[in-house]
Amino acid sequence: MSAIEPTMIDQTTGPTAGHATKERRAAWVLTAPALILMVVILLGPVIIAGVLSFTNYSLGNSSFDWVGTQNYEKLFTRSTYEKMFVATLTYVVTVVPISVGLGLGAALLINSLGRFREIYKTIYFLPVMATLLAMAIAWEFMLHPSIGMVNRTLEMGCGTFLEQIWSFMSQGCADRFPVWLGDKRYAIWVICFIGIWQGFGFNMVLYLAGLTSVHRELYHAAEMDGARSAWERFRLVTWPALGPTTVFVVTITCIRAFQVFDTIEAFWPQGGGPNKSTYVMMFAIFEKGVQQNLIGIGSAITMLFLLFVMFLTLIQRWLVERKVHYK
Amino acid sequence: MTRDWWKHLILIIGVIIVIAPFYMMVSYSFKSPGEIDRGEGGFFGQQELMVAPRCVALRTPGRDDIAAASSRFAGASDAEIRDALVAEAEADCSIRPVVFNYTQAFTEAPLLRYLLNGVIVTASIFLIQVVVALPAAYALAKLRFWGRDAVFGLVLFCLLIPVHAIALPLYIMLAKLGLTNTYAALVVPWTVSVFGIFLMRQFFLTVPDDLIDAARMDGMGEFAIVWRVMLPTAIPALLAFAIFSVVAHWNDYFWPRIVVTGNRDLFTPPLGLREFKGDGDGSFFGPMMATATVIVTPLIVAFLLAQKRFIEGITLNGMK
Repeated sequence: MSAIEPTMIDQTTGPTAGHATKERRAAWVLTAPALILMVVILLGPVIIAGVLSFTNYSLGNSSFDWVGTQNYEKLFTRSTYEKMFVATLTYVVTVVPISVGLGLGAALLINSLGRFREIYKTIYFLPVMATLLAMAIAWEFMLHPSIGMVNRTLEMGCGTFLEQIWSFMSQGCADRFPVWLGDKRYAIWVICFIGIWQGFGFNMVLYLAGLTSVHRELYHAAEMDGARSAWERFRLVTWPALGPTTVFVVTITCIRAFQVFDTIEAFWPQGGGPNKSTYVMMFAIFEKGVQQNLIGIGSAITMLFLLFVMFLTLIQRWLVERKVHYK
Repeated sequence: MTRDWWKHLILIIGVIIVIAPFYMMVSYSFKSPGEIDRGEGGFFGQQELMVAPRCVALRTPGRDDIAAASSRFAGASDAEIRDALVAEAEADCSIRPVVFNYTQAFTEAPLLRYLLNGVIVTASIFLIQVVVALPAAYALAKLRFWGRDAVFGLVLFCLLIPVHAIALPLYIMLAKLGLTNTYAALVVPWTVSVFGIFLMRQFFLTVPDDLIDAARMDGMGEFAIVWRVMLPTAIPALLAFAIFSVVAHWNDYFWPRIVVTGNRDLFTPPLGLREFKGDGDGSFFGPMMATATVIVTPLIVAFLLAQKRFIEGITLNGMK
C-alpha cells in the first residue's frame, strides 16, 4: 500500500488552478482504478454474456454464428433444463424459508436464555466459517450407506418402538436404509439439508443483532394493551420490529441459495446427481459453459441467473426503502 | 434454568446436528482404516500400531535383497529369509494411525503448497481490494466532482452482480488473454470489491471534514490524505472487511475450480482436498479427513479466538 504514497501527488496543477479543479482532478484519479475495474470485471462480462447468449460461440473457434434466441428456446423446451429449473427452485424454496425460520427460532431461544448464550451462538456459527467443500466431504462420509454415522445411528433404532410408529424405520430395518446420495428420491433433500445446516447460523446472528434493537418499552406497552401470551408479544412487537432484518436475511439467503455448487460438485462431479435431480443452475453453467465449451447455452443460463438475482435484490431494496414490514 | 430446560433441550439437539460432521471429521483423522470401517474406537481411536501398506509394498524383498541378507540369517532357506525381511519391513513401517493420517495428508499431496497458495491468493485479493477501494471510497464520500452521483450509481448497480454468476464470461476473457492457470486468474475477478467501496464510503461519511481540512492546511495532497489520514481512521472497518474477504476467498471453491485445471502448483486448499478425494479409495478416509481438518482449522481457530470480530466481519452485509 505504501508504494502509492506521496510521490504520486499530482504536481501538474499549478498555483493558478482553482481548488475545485484540483479536487475534481484528484477525485477522478482516485476513482479511476475502481471505475475501470468495475467496467471491465463486472459490467463487461454481463454484456459479453448477453451477446454470446445469442451465438453458438465456443472457445478455440475463430468464428461463430448468430443463432437468435435458439439458446433460450432450448432452455425452455429441453427436459434437461426443466430438471435444472426444478432442482434450483426446489433448493431455493426449501432452503430459504427453513434456514430463515431456524435462524429466527434459534435467535429467539438464545435471546431468551440467561446462560450459555455465547456457547450456542459460537457453535451454530461454526458451519458458516468452515470450508463448505471440506464439510461436504465430511457429510458424504456421514451419509455413507454402510459405514456412515447416519445409517449406523438409524440402525440403533431398530427393534425399538420407533419401528412401530415410523414406517421409514421399519422399512429401513427390514430391508436397508437409504443410500442417500445415490438415490434420486433423497439426493436433492440431502443437498437442501446441508445448505440449511451451513446457513442458518448466519441468519441467527443477523436476527440476534436485530433483536438487540427492539426496545423493551415496546413489550411493556404491548402488555398494557393486553398482549398477555408470548405469541401475542411476538406477533405484535418482535416480528414487526424485525421486518427490515427479515427482508435482508431472506434476500441474502435467496442469493446464496441460487449459487449452490460446492456440495453438488463434491458429491457428483459428473452429471448433477442421480437422474439429474440436483442439476442446479451454477452446476449447469459450469458443466455446459466450462467443461463442454457450449458457451452460447452457458451464457443464456448466466443471463437468466442474473435476472433472478437482480430481481430479488431490487425487490429487497424496494421493500427497505418503503419500510414495508411483513405482516 | 429449570423453566428453560426445554429451550436447552432443543438447542442441544441442534448443537449435536451442527457438531456431528466436525466431530466425525476430526475423529476419522485420528483413526486407523480398520477402526473407520468397523466404527470402533471412540473419538481418538485405540491408537494401536498399524502397518502402513505403501511403506511395506516399497520394501517387498526381491531376489537381490534376499541374497544380500543371507549372511545375516546363516543356514536359513530363502523363503525363511524372505519372511524375516517382510516382518522387519512391517516392524519398521508400524506407525500410530494419527501420525500415519497426518503424514499421509502432507506427503501424498503437496498440502503445504496448497496452504501457501491459499495464503498468497487470499492476501493478495485483500490487499488489492483495499488499494482499489479505499481511494474510490474517499473520493465518493468526501470530494465534490462532476459525475460523482453517476459513479456512485454504478457502484450501487454493480452490487447487484454476484461475481460467481458472471464466472463464465470472466473465464472466457481470461482464457482469451491466456491467463487461465495463473495466480492472476485466481485474483483478478476479485480485485474490485464493490461492496468494499460501498462499505468504506459509508464509513468515511462519518469522518469529520475538519480532519481532512486540517490535513490540507498542512499541505497534504489527496493521495497522502487517503493513506495517512483516512486509512488509520478506517482500521476497525478494514479489519471487519478483511475477515469478510479472507473467509470468503479461503473457502471459495467454485472460481478456482473453473480457472485452475490440472496444475497442482496453483491449487488452493479446497481444490487440493477435492483432488485427494478424486483419487482416493476406501482406505484413504483417514488421511483425507486429516487434510480436511488441516484446511478447516485455521479459520475455525481464528474464529474461536476473536468471535466478536468474526461475526461482525462476516455479517457485514447486515450493516447497510
